[in-house]
Amino acid sequence: MMKIVVGQGSCGIAAGAGKTYEAIKACMTEQEPFELGSTGCNGMCFLEPIVDIYDGHKLVKRLVNVSADKAEAVVSAVRAGDLSGLSEMVIKPEDEEFLTQQTRIALRNCGIIDPEDIASYKERDGYKALEKVLTSMTPEEVIEEIKVSGLAGRGGAGFPTWFKWNAARQSPGEEKYLICNADEGDPGAFMDRAVIESDPHNLIEGMMIAAYAIGASEAIVYVRAEYPLAIIHLNEAIRQAREAGYIGQNILGTGFSCEFRYMAGAGAFVCGEETALIESLEGKRGMPRLKPPFPAAAGYKMKPSNINNVETFANVAWIILNGGEKFAAMGTENSKGTKVFALTGKIRRGGLVEIPMGQTLRHVIFDIGGGIREDKKIKAVQLGGPSGGCIPEHLLDTVIDYKALSATGAIMGSGGMVVMDENTCMVGMAKFFLDFTSKESCGKCVHCRIGTRRMLEILNRIVEGNGKDGDIELLEELCYSIKDGALCGLGQTAPNPVLTTIRYFRDEYEAHIGEKRCPAAECRDLLMYYIDPDKCKGCTACARKCPADAISGTVKSAHSIDPEKCIKCGTCKSTCKFDAIYVK
Amino acid sequence: MEQIKITINGKECIGNKGDSILKIATANGVYIPTLCHFEGVKDYGACGICLVEGEGLPKLMRACSTAAADGWVLSTETDRVKKARKIALELLMSDHDGDCVGPCSLNCPAGTDAQGYIKQIALGNDYQAVKIVKETNPLPASIGRVCPHPCEKNCRRRFVEQPMSIAYMKYFAADRDLHLTSPYDGVTDGTVFRGGMDGKCGISIPPTYKPEVKKATGKKVAVIGGGPGGLTAAFFLRRNGHEVTVYDAMPEMGGMLRYGIPEYRLPKRILHREIAEIANLGVKLVNNVRIGGEASPAAFTGAEVISLESLRKDYDAVVIAVGAWKSSSVGCPGEDAEGVLGGIDFLRDVALAVQPYDPEGTLSRPINIGKKVAIVGGGNTAMDACRTAVRLGAEDVYVIYRRTRNEMPADEEEIDDAIEEGVTFKFLTNPAEIISENGKVKRIKLQVMELGEPDASGRRSPVPVEGKFEILDVDTVIAAIGQKLDPTGFEELEFNRKGIITADEATFRTNLEGVFAIGDATNKGADIAIAAIGEGNKAALVVDSYLNGEIIPYKKPFVSERDEETVKKELAEREKAARVIMPKRTPEERRHDFKEVNLGFAEEDVRKEAARCLECGCHDYEDCRLIFTARREEICPARLKGQHHPGFVEQKLVSIERNQNKCILCNLCIRTCDENAKKGILGLVGRGFTSVIKPEFNDPSVIAGCKDCHLCADACPTGALKIIG
Repeated sequence: MMKIVVGQGSCGIAAGAGKTYEAIKACMTEQEPFELGSTGCNGMCFLEPIVDIYDGHKLVKRLVNVSADKAEAVVSAVRAGDLSGLSEMVIKPEDEEFLTQQTRIALRNCGIIDPEDIASYKERDGYKALEKVLTSMTPEEVIEEIKVSGLAGRGGAGFPTWFKWNAARQSPGEEKYLICNADEGDPGAFMDRAVIESDPHNLIEGMMIAAYAIGASEAIVYVRAEYPLAIIHLNEAIRQAREAGYIGQNILGTGFSCEFRYMAGAGAFVCGEETALIESLEGKRGMPRLKPPFPAAAGYKMKPSNINNVETFANVAWIILNGGEKFAAMGTENSKGTKVFALTGKIRRGGLVEIPMGQTLRHVIFDIGGGIREDKKIKAVQLGGPSGGCIPEHLLDTVIDYKALSATGAIMGSGGMVVMDENTCMVGMAKFFLDFTSKESCGKCVHCRIGTRRMLEILNRIVEGNGKDGDIELLEELCYSIKDGALCGLGQTAPNPVLTTIRYFRDEYEAHIGEKRCPAAECRDLLMYYIDPDKCKGCTACARKCPADAISGTVKSAHSIDPEKCIKCGTCKSTCKFDAIYVK
Repeated sequence: MEQIKITINGKECIGNKGDSILKIATANGVYIPTLCHFEGVKDYGACGICLVEGEGLPKLMRACSTAAADGWVLSTETDRVKKARKIALELLMSDHDGDCVGPCSLNCPAGTDAQGYIKQIALGNDYQAVKIVKETNPLPASIGRVCPHPCEKNCRRRFVEQPMSIAYMKYFAADRDLHLTSPYDGVTDGTVFRGGMDGKCGISIPPTYKPEVKKATGKKVAVIGGGPGGLTAAFFLRRNGHEVTVYDAMPEMGGMLRYGIPEYRLPKRILHREIAEIANLGVKLVNNVRIGGEASPAAFTGAEVISLESLRKDYDAVVIAVGAWKSSSVGCPGEDAEGVLGGIDFLRDVALAVQPYDPEGTLSRPINIGKKVAIVGGGNTAMDACRTAVRLGAEDVYVIYRRTRNEMPADEEEIDDAIEEGVTFKFLTNPAEIISENGKVKRIKLQVMELGEPDASGRRSPVPVEGKFEILDVDTVIAAIGQKLDPTGFEELEFNRKGIITADEATFRTNLEGVFAIGDATNKGADIAIAAIGEGNKAALVVDSYLNGEIIPYKKPFVSERDEETVKKELAEREKAARVIMPKRTPEERRHDFKEVNLGFAEEDVRKEAARCLECGCHDYEDCRLIFTARREEICPARLKGQHHPGFVEQKLVSIERNQNKCILCNLCIRTCDENAKKGILGLVGRGFTSVIKPEFNDPSVIAGCKDCHLCADACPTGALKIIG
C-alpha cells in the first residue's frame, strides 16, 4: 500500500507542514488506495515541508517544499498511482546528497518512523537492545561494551561515557539515578530536540540500558520547556513504553525495575550544567554546585547519579545491537563513532548532519551543506555555541575530533555549527554570544556574573565606535581570568567566542577601535550610507521611503544622503533598484 | 584521623584528610583571602578570591571547598592566581556602589574623618569629636577657623541645598575641648585647664584631650619650622614615642597661622592654647633659632643661627617645614618705591604688633600705611591684607585683580566679608606702573584687562585691552600675589626649577639622608594650612618607619567611591534643612579692631547642623572584608567601570537595613539565615548580573519570621547590612 508521510518535526511545522498535512487529509476521501502518516524531522530542514511517498517500506518519492496548496496535486497523483506530475516537487539530486553523505546512528530513525507509535520504532529493531541487555548481559558487560565503543559525552565535554557509568555503578548506595540532560540551550543547536521529537523511544531505550548498567531505580529526562512538541512525543512514548513493559517494575520479567519520568526545565541555560540541572530537578534555583562531590558520588538528592546528554543515549541501543567495535571502527584515534551537527547560519543547506568523526569541517560545510548562500565567501564557523569558538576559513580542513577542534580554540560542543560569511562582523558575533552568556549567567560567582557583563560592555562600546586603545588587551585579560576563576562550565567557557575571534580576527577588532570602521559593514553605528551618483537614476524611490527624510534630490538627478539625519536603517538600500546605494 | 601534609606558599602544613585547603591553611597560620567563606556556614564558592594553584594540577582550585590531597604543593601567589584574584576584586569593586568614607574626608588634604567627628558632635560628644580630629590634625580650633574647607566643597549635602558647615563645627568642638566656650567659661590666659569641677556651673568637665604617647624609642627628631606642617609632624612623631624638638626662627610658634593669618580670623590665644597642648605631650619647642646665614626680615635678626649639618649630627632624622615666607614682587616698573610692601611681610608686621593673648586684639604700636591702599592679588592673602588695611584705618582700600570675581581663588566668604567691610574690588585690572614722588608711592597705573581663552588651569586668562588704563591715587601698594621659600641655610638640598625644595612625594625624602621636607617649602610650593598638616601627618608615618629601620612610602589607601551623578539623583527628593550660618560681628563693628569676627555657633545650632550629615561613608569601613582584601592587591577597578547591578536600600527585616548597592552576592545572609538561624527569610531574585537579595517572595509573613538575631549582618563581609537601633 502506498503511504504519504508528512514530516512534522518543529522545523516542518514552522515551515507549514501542519497545514500541508491537514490539506492532504481534507483532499482524501474515505476510501483511498493509500494511507496518510506522519514522521519527525529527517534533518533536511532547508526543504521543509517534506512529504515522503512510500510503497510499503520503500521510499519512492521525496517531495520538498510542499506547501498546503500543493496537497491536491499530491493526493491526485498518489491516488492515480502516477507520480510523474509531481516532478517539480521532487527533491533535486544535489540536495539528496545532503542525506546520502551522512552516516546515521543517533538519528537512524529520524524522519523515517512515526515517533508517536512504538510499533513503528519496534519495526526498526526497537527495544531489541534493551531485551538483549536485560536477558543476556551483566551491567559490567554493558559498561564494557560502551567502553569498547569509545562513546564519549556528546553534550560537549567528551568525557568517556563508560567511565561515568562505571563511577556511578561503583558508587556505594542503593538509591541511584540516571538523568538525561535535554536542556539543549545553545543558540543554533537542535540535535537533541530532533531526537526526542522524532525518535523518543530510542532515547528511552538508551536510558533504560544505562539505568540497568549503573543500577538506577529511576530515570529522569530534564527537558527544556521550550520544546513543547518534544515533550508531547516523549510523554506519549513513556506511556507506550510503560504499557509495553519496557519501564516500571520487573521489566520483561527480568527482575530489573526502573521508573521513568521527565521534568520540564524553566528556561535557564545554566541548567544544562549538570550540577545546576540537579539543583533545578530538586526544585531549587538553578545554580551550579561546588565540585567535588561529583554527581556520580552525590548527585540528585545527594545520591549517586549519572547524567548524559540526549545524543549520547541515542547511540547506546545501536552500540549494544551492533557491537562496540563497529562503533569504534568509525572516527579517529581519540574520537569514535559519529557526531550530529546542527548546521545553520549562512549555509545553503541547513539542517541536521550526522557523520563519522574524522571528516573535515570543509566536507560538512561544502559537500554536505552545499557551501555558502548567494555564493559568498565563507569567513568562519562557530562550533559549540556560546561556549565554543570560531574557526576561520583557513582552518576548515581541521578534522572533527575532540582534540583537533580544541587545538583551534573552539570545542566540539554539543553540535551547533553556525556558518558565517564575509558579511558577518566577528566582533558583533562575539558580542552576540557574550550577550547570551551574560544574560544566562546564574549570578553565583563573581568572575562570570560581573566579568561577562564587563566583557559585554566593552564589546558594546567597540561596536558602537567608542572602543579605546587597550580594550583588546583588557578583554583578553578578563577572558583568561574568567576561565580560571569561574565556578562552572558556563563561565569557564564564556570567553571562548571572544578569545577565538581576537585570535583569528584581531584586525577586525582593531579596525573598529582604531579606525571606527566595521570591515564587514554590519555594525550600524559605524556605517555610512552613500549614493553612487553614477548609478542613481533619480527615481526618488529611496527619498520617498526614507523614514528620516535624510535623502534629497530632484527627479532624474542624482540624490544624496544627509549623514546627520540618516538613521542607518538600510531602507534606501533595499529600496533602490539600481544598486546605487552603498555602505561604507 | 589520617593526617596529610601539604605545602602552601612554601610553608609546610599539616591537616586531616578530607579537610579543605583553606581549613588547613588557617590552622597552620597561612592566610588565604576569601569573602564568601564564613566559619559555621557551608562552603559556597562564589567569590573566587580563595583561588590557589597546585604544582602539576591543571585547574585553579577554590581553597574553601577543595579537599587537600597529601603532598600537594600550593600557592596563592602564582601569576595565574594573582591575575584571577585581581580581576575578581576589580570586578567586585567596579560593581560595589558604595562610599567607603565620606567625600568630605576624601577631599581633605589631611584626610580628617569629618563624618566621624560630626557624628560625635551631633550626639553632643564634643570631646570625642576632638579625639577623632586629632588623629589627623592637632590644631582643630585654629584650622576650624581659617581652613578654606575643601571638605565642604565636596559635601554631598550640596546636592540637597548647601554643604555642611564642617569647619566651624570643628572649632566649636575644639573650643569646648580647650574649655574656651560657654558653658565651661574657660581659661583665656594661656594656662591649661585639665578638667574637673567647674566652679561656675557646678558640672564635671572632661579634661582637654591628651593623646597617649607611646613608650620612648630613644630616637631624636628635629623639626625645622613651627608652622602647621612642622607642628603636626612633631605631634605625631612624639605620639610614637620619639623625642622631638621643633626649631623656629620667629619668637613664637605657629608659622603662618601665627604671623600670616590676622588676629580677627584666628585669635592668637587660641592658637597658643593648641600649641601648648602639643608641648604638653613632651614636644620641645625652641624659638628664635634659624638655620644658616643672614636673616632677611627684621624680626629674624635676633635669632640664633645653627646649621642644618649640626642638626643632622645631633638627631636621627630632620624634618624641614620652613614654609614659604618670601613675598613675590609685583613685577611692574616702580615696584622698588617706598610704600610697596609684600603681602605676607605686611601681615607679619601687623601680627607682631598685635598684643599677644589680648581678647580685644589691640596693637602695641602704630602701623602707618596711609589712607589709600591698593592690594594686588585675588587669593586669601589678598583678602587678609585688604581687611587688615581696613582695620588699620585706611579709607580707600582697593583689591586689584586681573580676572573677575568668578576666577578669584580666595574663599567666597572672605570676599563677601571684605566687601561688607568696604573694600573696593578693581576686577580686570593689572598694575602697569607704580608711580612715585620723592621715592614714595603716589599712584598706581592699571592696565584694563579682558578675559580671553581658558588656560591650562581651565581659567580664562586675562589679556590687556590695548591702550586702556586707569590711575588710582595710593599711599601703599601691597603685593599679595604669591610667596616662596627663602632658601638661606638649606643650600645643600636639591631644589626644583622654581627654587623650591625637591622632596619625594611618597616619602618626603630630600637628597640628604635622614632629611625630610614637607609643606610650602617643597615641590609645588605654597598651599593652605591643612595641606601642610596633611603632609605633616603622612611624613610622621614615613619618618617613623625610617626610624624603625625600613622606610615605608605613604600610599593613599584605595577606597570605593560612588558616582556623583547617581548620588545627585538620589538626593534630589531629600528633605531640605538649611545650613546654619556662622554669626558674625557687624561690618561696622569689626572694621575698627582686630577682635575675632566670628561669634561662634550656639550649641543648639551646632547640634542641628551636625544632624544634617548624610553619613555618606560606610558604617562598616573599619571591619569591611571587601576593602581589606582589595587593598592587599594592586587593583584598578576604574578600568572595569561599568553598569552597577540593580540597587536599593530597604528596611524590611526587623532591625536590619539592607543596602543592595553594596551587596557582593556572597549570599552569606541567605545562607546563614537558612543554615544557622533556620529561618530562610532571604532569597535571590532575578538572574545573573541583575540578581538581588530580597525577603522570599517579599511575603510579609515570611519577613515576620525574622527573629532579629543579626547573624546575617555579622556574616556580611561588606557594609550591605546595617543593624539599626
